Amino acid sequence: MPLDTSAYSLALLRVDGRRWNELRRIHAQIRTQAAADGSSYLEMGHTKVMCVVTGPSEPGPRRGTAGAGAAGASKAVAEVAVSVVVAGFSSVDRKKRGRNDKRNLELQSTIANALAASLHTHLFPHSVIQVSLHVLSQDGSLLAALINAATLACVDAGIPMTDYVVACTAGSTSTYAAGDESADPLLDLNHQEEQELPGLTVATLGESDRVAVLVCESRVQVGRLEGMLAVGVDGCKQVREILDRVVRDKGKRMVLEGTVAKGEGLEDMDLD
Amino acid sequence: MPREAEPSLNERQFILQALQENLRLDGREFDQYRPLELTFGDQYGVADVTLGKTRVLAKASAEVTVPYVDRPLDGIFNIATELSPMASPAFEVGRPTETEVLLSRLLEKTVRRSGALDTESLCLVAGQKVWSVRVDVHVLSHDGNLIDAACLAVVAALRHFRKPDTSMESGILTVYTPAEREPVALSWLHSPFCVTWSYFGDEGEIALLDATWREEQVRVGSCTISLNRHGEICQIAKLGGTPVEAVTLLQCTNTALTKVKEFSSFLDKKLAEDIKRRDKGGLMAELSAENDR
Amino acid sequence: MAPNQHVLLSPAELAYLHEALSLTPPIRPDGRAPTQFRPLVAETEILPGTNGSARICFADGTEAIVGVKAEVERTRGYHGDDEEEGGEEKREQEREGQDEWVELTVEIPGYREDDASTAFLAAMLSEALLADGGFAKKLWINRRFHWKLFLDIILISPPLSYPLPLLSLTTHLALLSTRLPRLKSEGDEDPFFDDDWAAAPYLYPQGTATTRPPITLLVMAVGRNIIFDPTKEELAVADVVLAVSVGEAATDASSTKGKGKAPGRSLRLLSVRTVDPPSRVTPPGVPNATNSAYGIAASAQKQPEARTVEAQAVEGVWRAPRGGAKPAVMAALVQKVLERGGVADEVLDALDAVELG
Repeated sequence: MPLDTSAYSLALLRVDGRRWNELRRIHAQIRTQAAADGSSYLEMGHTKVMCVVTGPSEPGPRRGTAGAGAAGASKAVAEVAVSVVVAGFSSVDRKKRGRNDKRNLELQSTIANALAASLHTHLFPHSVIQVSLHVLSQDGSLLAALINAATLACVDAGIPMTDYVVACTAGSTSTYAAGDESADPLLDLNHQEEQELPGLTVATLGESDRVAVLVCESRVQVGRLEGMLAVGVDGCKQVREILDRVVRDKGKRMVLEGTVAKGEGLEDMDLD
Repeated sequence: MPREAEPSLNERQFILQALQENLRLDGREFDQYRPLELTFGDQYGVADVTLGKTRVLAKASAEVTVPYVDRPLDGIFNIATELSPMASPAFEVGRPTETEVLLSRLLEKTVRRSGALDTESLCLVAGQKVWSVRVDVHVLSHDGNLIDAACLAVVAALRHFRKPDTSMESGILTVYTPAEREPVALSWLHSPFCVTWSYFGDEGEIALLDATWREEQVRVGSCTISLNRHGEICQIAKLGGTPVEAVTLLQCTNTALTKVKEFSSFLDKKLAEDIKRRDKGGLMAELSAENDR
Repeated sequence: MAPNQHVLLSPAELAYLHEALSLTPPIRPDGRAPTQFRPLVAETEILPGTNGSARICFADGTEAIVGVKAEVERTRGYHGDDEEEGGEEKREQEREGQDEWVELTVEIPGYREDDASTAFLAAMLSEALLADGGFAKKLWINRRFHWKLFLDIILISPPLSYPLPLLSLTTHLALLSTRLPRLKSEGDEDPFFDDDWAAAPYLYPQGTATTRPPITLLVMAVGRNIIFDPTKEELAVADVVLAVSVGEAATDASSTKGKGKAPGRSLRLLSVRTVDPPSRVTPPGVPNATNSAYGIAASAQKQPEARTVEAQAVEGVWRAPRGGAKPAVMAALVQKVLERGGVADEVLDALDAVELG
């Protein structure tokens, strides 16, 4: 189904009625699962993912495709092992993607390497942080949603980290590959836009401009990269705000419910 | 599982310290490639790329098969990579390592998904017969920067490749041997090349091109950018690692573009040389009445 | 996740637990009655992109999600020639399902999909589902087409305890919430459907006089006590563990005669599987008499004596159960599940109460 990009230039509205710099609704929860060390649930539009973190714990016997070890050989730091399970019912047509699918392995290794750079893995030598991600529903920006969910779950698991690793996608209107000066950058692509337009996934470290992950899989003029990257990095800052709110709200609720004691130095925490 | 020997702490320190002082172990500039060589085999579609001590051989081949049911008008195009224990003891046969998976994904995204080869031109009879083009990548020696070398080898092999000529007459497909008719080149749309940056330092502030295997073991992150000489990005992959300033990435992309243009003219030159070599004497030799006797 | 998981209990703890569970009535560590279930959280129709979906969280923190997707598929082996001879009634008779119309996959994080235990779980679940033969019949569209049903069962949490009952109950709910678009075409023509989702009928029509998807329960026996919904620790001292699948018997036969029958439903046994209890691989305790740490005469005793300990039971010392289960115990276990107004009945009632949508 071709995307009618001519409509965009008329009203400057995208297929789902958003403006160029609007994120889709992000809904996130942490501590969704009692038995896990850390867990989260994240929706970016209709993309829905769940994450469960186990560890840091002693590495068990290696079994199956545990995922991509970021640290690999050296035992001085914890290994981040990621496994991504894409549910068969997650896309419109049921498609079974094997766990050894190369695309899946690439996703796993990207997430593992991105997290390992932010988590303080040197505090946990000889151990494993097992991150398992489940994709329940897909509507574009899959890698971004997975990274965000994994970050939230790691926060919930209480693993020290430099800052949130937050991600979102950015694209560019018009598929015309040659220099089209009027092409506008777009923020947060849905599935339909992802199919039709050039786009990239960006993950940054917190509010900084430092890019941890940059994945572009479509053909695009080099001149448009700057605009897309700028919009993407800006989107990441917005995502960070949202995720931070989720974590703070949960923390506040836990203090109010008496699940946890108010930490030291938090006396001025706003509890209303 | 066998593992690569790790650089010792001293070695690691030494390399990093030198980089801080703007020095590389082999005395290159930060954005300088090792000496690049490309040779073609006697057969069409064999390319051998040497980049310093890294050596990659790619061989293209084609056969007639049945197309996929969902794409009856498209030919089949595959890139197969295999890292054998010959290249490094860390590679095992039959068990793809992370390096191998990422390499094959990158090549696929760079060459296949960017539409470098016109797969529709490979169709012979819609829904029944198509050419299946396959490139096998063999890593003969691994001294870092496999991706750039492998990508160059794949593109060179495909552009050098000639598939047998065919004709359709009243529903009968004839495939001619090279003796009957001169084989034809593939319908090639653009030539993408990979340029891989390696980052060093706590903030990833030092960026190197064409890292050796030693340097790759010490780096904190990498970013592979694929472009063609028209300035089109075919793929960018910075898969995790230490975060790098967005501005640095943009600069890296621009430098990559100049490198890609160099690769592109280098390949064009080599291809032209090869044609000249094959065509020794050219038409005049053929017309000559003299024989070798 | 194979039932033989590591349970970090010492032989002394195992012995204590075993003893407590063998009392009449048994005393369970969490104070439950033998037939009492732990509370669970359930919701259905959580994913709008599927034909039916459900999520269940057990009290021990294990969580599963099941999604059902249906696709129209051409029925194999149909040749359009015998059109004329088939009358209307014959067509009705041809309404037959095939087992391969249902595809069931189980995903357990950290396990390969072709892992033996994962395949075993999938086999047990689909076996129960297809046991009555009536399920695949529901997928029949016409003689040329049928629905192909994909059940994807995903364990979200790490496999803390044997996940069979959790997966089974979640599948049950997902199937209850499954709807297929209403057929608008007639006869054997290419099917087309009503695109009004609100008009789509449920795969298991709502109401009383219908069958329901089966459920599989885990039951264990310690001594003569029968215990339902065992925890991981309780499983570690079980003598026998059974996975019992029950379905509701079709009520059309019984409704004619049984107006004044006892409350509760008539249940049908669909399948029984013995599950290798993890208790078999627990380390045995060492009686004081032979424990060299106590130093008395034990230090003098050597290997031969140590081996005889294995054979004879000492009061209060844990010894892993050996050998199979007695037929009488097995029969009692199955009987207990099938009892009218019994546990399976209760579970089905509870699942009934889960609101659809």
